[in-house]
Amino acid sequence: MGEQKSETEGYVGQSVRTIEGRAPVMGKATYTNDINFPGQLHAHILRSPHAAANIQSIDTSGAEKVAGVVRVVTGAQAAEHIDPIPHYIDPAVFGGRSASIRCLALDHVWCFGQPVAVVVAEDKRTARYAASRIVVDYEVTTPVIDSEDALKDDAPMVVPGWDANMIMQVPFGGGDVAQAFSSADRVIKTDVKVHRFSTQPIETRTYNGVYDAGTDSVTLYGTVQNPHPLRNVLSKILRMPENKIRVHAPVIGGAFGMKMHGHPEEGLVCFLSKLIGQPVKWVEDREECLLIGAREQVHSVELAVTKDGTILGLKDHYLANTGAPSSCPGWGMAFLTGLTMPGPYAVTNLDVQLSAVVTNKPGWNASRGYGKEVTALALELSVDNAARELGIDPVDMRMRNFIKKDQFPYDSPTGLIYDSGDYAGVMQKALDAIGYDEWKVKQEKAREEGRYLGIGVGFELTPEGGTLPGTFVAGYDSSTVRVAPDGSVRVLTGVTTPGSGNPTGIAQIVADELGVRLNTIEVVQGDTTTCPYGFGNSSGRSTIVGGGSAAKAAIEVREKIIKVAAALMEVDEESVSMKDGIIASGDKTIDLEEVCYACYTRAYDVGSVIEPPLEATAMFKPGLVRHTPNEKGQINPYPSYSNAAYVAISEVDVNTGEVKLLKFSVAHDCGNVINPILVEGQACGAIMFGIGAAMAENITFDENGRQLTKNFMDYVMPRIGDVPSIDLSHHDSPNPVNYKGLKGAGEAGVGGSAAAIVNSVNNALTPFGVMMTETPLTAPRVWSAIQAAKKAQPQRKVA
Amino acid sequence: MSLYPAFARPRDLGQAADIMGGLSTGAMIIAGGQEVMPSVNYGALMPEVYIDVGQISALKGIAEEDDGIHIGSSTVHRDVQDSEVIQSKIPLLSYAAAQIGGGMQVHNRGTIGGNIVSMHPLYDILPSLLALGAEFDVLRGDGETRVALADLMRDASHGLGSESLLVRIHLKPMTPGAGWSYEKLKITAGGYGSANAAAIVTLDGDKITSLRVVVGAVSALPIDISDALGGCRGQAWSDHLAEEIEEKASAEISEPLSDHQGDGDWRRAMAGVMARRAVEAAVEKAG
Repeated sequence: MGEQKSETEGYVGQSVRTIEGRAPVMGKATYTNDINFPGQLHAHILRSPHAAANIQSIDTSGAEKVAGVVRVVTGAQAAEHIDPIPHYIDPAVFGGRSASIRCLALDHVWCFGQPVAVVVAEDKRTARYAASRIVVDYEVTTPVIDSEDALKDDAPMVVPGWDANMIMQVPFGGGDVAQAFSSADRVIKTDVKVHRFSTQPIETRTYNGVYDAGTDSVTLYGTVQNPHPLRNVLSKILRMPENKIRVHAPVIGGAFGMKMHGHPEEGLVCFLSKLIGQPVKWVEDREECLLIGAREQVHSVELAVTKDGTILGLKDHYLANTGAPSSCPGWGMAFLTGLTMPGPYAVTNLDVQLSAVVTNKPGWNASRGYGKEVTALALELSVDNAARELGIDPVDMRMRNFIKKDQFPYDSPTGLIYDSGDYAGVMQKALDAIGYDEWKVKQEKAREEGRYLGIGVGFELTPEGGTLPGTFVAGYDSSTVRVAPDGSVRVLTGVTTPGSGNPTGIAQIVADELGVRLNTIEVVQGDTTTCPYGFGNSSGRSTIVGGGSAAKAAIEVREKIIKVAAALMEVDEESVSMKDGIIASGDKTIDLEEVCYACYTRAYDVGSVIEPPLEATAMFKPGLVRHTPNEKGQINPYPSYSNAAYVAISEVDVNTGEVKLLKFSVAHDCGNVINPILVEGQACGAIMFGIGAAMAENITFDENGRQLTKNFMDYVMPRIGDVPSIDLSHHDSPNPVNYKGLKGAGEAGVGGSAAAIVNSVNNALTPFGVMMTETPLTAPRVWSAIQAAKKAQPQRKVA
Repeated sequence: MSLYPAFARPRDLGQAADIMGGLSTGAMIIAGGQEVMPSVNYGALMPEVYIDVGQISALKGIAEEDDGIHIGSSTVHRDVQDSEVIQSKIPLLSYAAAQIGGGMQVHNRGTIGGNIVSMHPLYDILPSLLALGAEFDVLRGDGETRVALADLMRDASHGLGSESLLVRIHLKPMTPGAGWSYEKLKITAGGYGSANAAAIVTLDGDKITSLRVVVGAVSALPIDISDALGGCRGQAWSDHLAEEIEEKASAEISEPLSDHQGDGDWRRAMAGVMARRAVEAAVEKAG
């Protein structure tokens, strides 16, 4: 690995190459599907072709006759051995309706694609073929597809026995909303519809359950973001104690929240392996991966504003179509959307209400942004609409309403405590980077030539490092730092990586705190047997708490090494320094390896000043979180609040509706930066997500609730050719309580960048009076909006 | 449908005809595999027998003969793009072959024959071939027959049938001085085309003397709209003519596709936009 740091400074703050990145790039990384065991079997899941149906009978005899089939299991058969999947975030804990979720449906299916039966065979193709020979007799019932329809009085119930198609209804807000609205010059309403789109890691989910009869224990090798919490979930499903279960997560090829657990297949392969006595693997195909939804919300944002653009109050009663119940933490995204209102804006009069609706679409799982991206879309599209109505510059309107940098820590009306920020400064940096005023001139000139350029801005506040009481969404984590007798370092940490580079960030921190070279550090993650208890990867937390805890452990180990080094050199401890693996006191130096060897081997003389081994485990728990409700019953689940501003320049072909992105800028505040190139990589990735969200990625259904989107021909993610050049700048306001002032850098940007794109398209089409607030802005939709506007305003001279 | 497919690799056309004649349904001809293998991997296809025609030399290569240019059906897209004969005599086809999606791998493996016989509405080769008046040599059990692409597409079955093998494509060189264009509307780099048009135009001075226009990706098969645009002959390019072409092209699309690429109204409109742009670009090149 390259050592690119400068001579004088530490590793933190430098763009060093990732220590774990080489293997995936070279095709040498071992992913879950690369692992096979003797007697490996393969599972194929038969899924419901209906959105809602009662299962009358299942005939598995045809499948069982296929040569190579080992076992066929139905939901009823599985239920004799395994229990329902505990919820990652149980709605019941928060006063909502909670459904019982099984790995295989029992007598009723509530969405297209729900697992109904499973075939285990000697190879994958045989399992798939045999599954097609299972005959299921369904009594198809009327599904509920749309969230508004789901709330009608005569709507069929998605979950038998519930009295409403609703997980919960939650109000957020405070202040005097009525007064704000009555004293406003204008109330401007914007209906924002965010469509269903997800994340699509190139490595789909894969699980391999391996039962060991000798110890009556099971190991799950899998694409798992949170191994320790999943172990607890598996213990409940499998009726086994946690000490008989190991979860091991090899290299992950992208996760984005989708590999947080609660999926039926996790427990299923473990159960099947135990039942059959051989390892059982299941690999998700792309069609199955596309079944996991997210983000579909309908907002109706009302802004009470003065003539000069000051927002006095905000109302938004919104619906989230969370699909059928799932044990995955997806539904919580809808909650976060409301909690994060009113984002970066100093609006105290707030009336926001979530209705988390269930329908017969497949359920959600966590997706990058975790609902906060929808907050950004709803707010940023509404602010642009209001600015247009008021005839003021959208940037001016934002600058007028941003929370000022001297107002932090800031108490939001929903109970959040924003740690730090300089929103106006962040926005200004993004504008300066792209040349906002120059583009306005270019836009004027282009219009004279019949070309339609658009300039759009978006802002996203992304609370990070979240923790919810009574769930495995925990705020803290732990790490062990071990230095071997040869001086090499191993960091074992409870946080995991989805491929975003956090092991390198953690290693940079440990290298500096311990005083060793980066290339002597190995980071071990993703294993419940070897790593200290931890909560894995979510909510931009891995470097905050993984890095923070590893730093504390490294400091403890360093003290031991210094003590023994001082004894060996016969000098005062205070005079000893350690940097880059060189231990010095005055003009004396001593090799790190010599000291470490002595620590282990000379416990009765020079090493007696410490307790061997050279190892420490530490925990880092960020502050600012408040789980004890305030007088309004509100909690603050987040220690830090990353934020970023985005500017998009687009050109719209008014004949076809095509949108081409010409330029993009982002200014990003994730606190102090451990590794700029990793942060920039994440920011660019988020913009790719934003482009897909704004323009193309869409999961669609027919009128019977059958999913139409099945592969990458239907679900079109942006390619590098769709991405313009991106100007990226950092604008850091460090978190006052976190280690190194970190705020989290992996999650932010999907909504802010998508909003900037949508706003740029509307800005381009201002001469037509077009204002589109329903995503995605596909070419046919943009074209239709232009056609409709032309018809509505034939007198206007355009094009 | 079989879990254990057989594999046949005929060495020449005679063997291929024998094998095809001796098999029932469930046999699948495979050459570059760019059409077949994704469907097999996806589980949508489980052929009983693969007939790999990739080793038959008679199906490969580009030759200029007295009666025109012959392209073997298993000639890969890259060779169609790079062929000097095609570039100089049928530049429209060379250009269209370069617009095929899927990247370098598909261009290097995929064959012109595979692209044709899949009769996929969104693919890039058929519109140009139709505009160029292509003819095919097709092998059936009883020997080769020559069939015009235009006739093949009027056939309700839209294809060659599983008992036939596309051997080669016959094309006449384009008229020297003819202008041509292939316009493809592709909204994102990773997506399929949403509408396209191939145009070949000859001019006398600035007046259009002949015009062939085919629009694709907007209906189940490409549509030759040359007759509908017959009135353009004798006219010079103008804004008025552009509008007329756009309107007439759209009007020819009676059953537009409506899919993930876009709804029918838009597709119909885009057929017009692509036809207009293709003719405009062809007129510019002509002369």
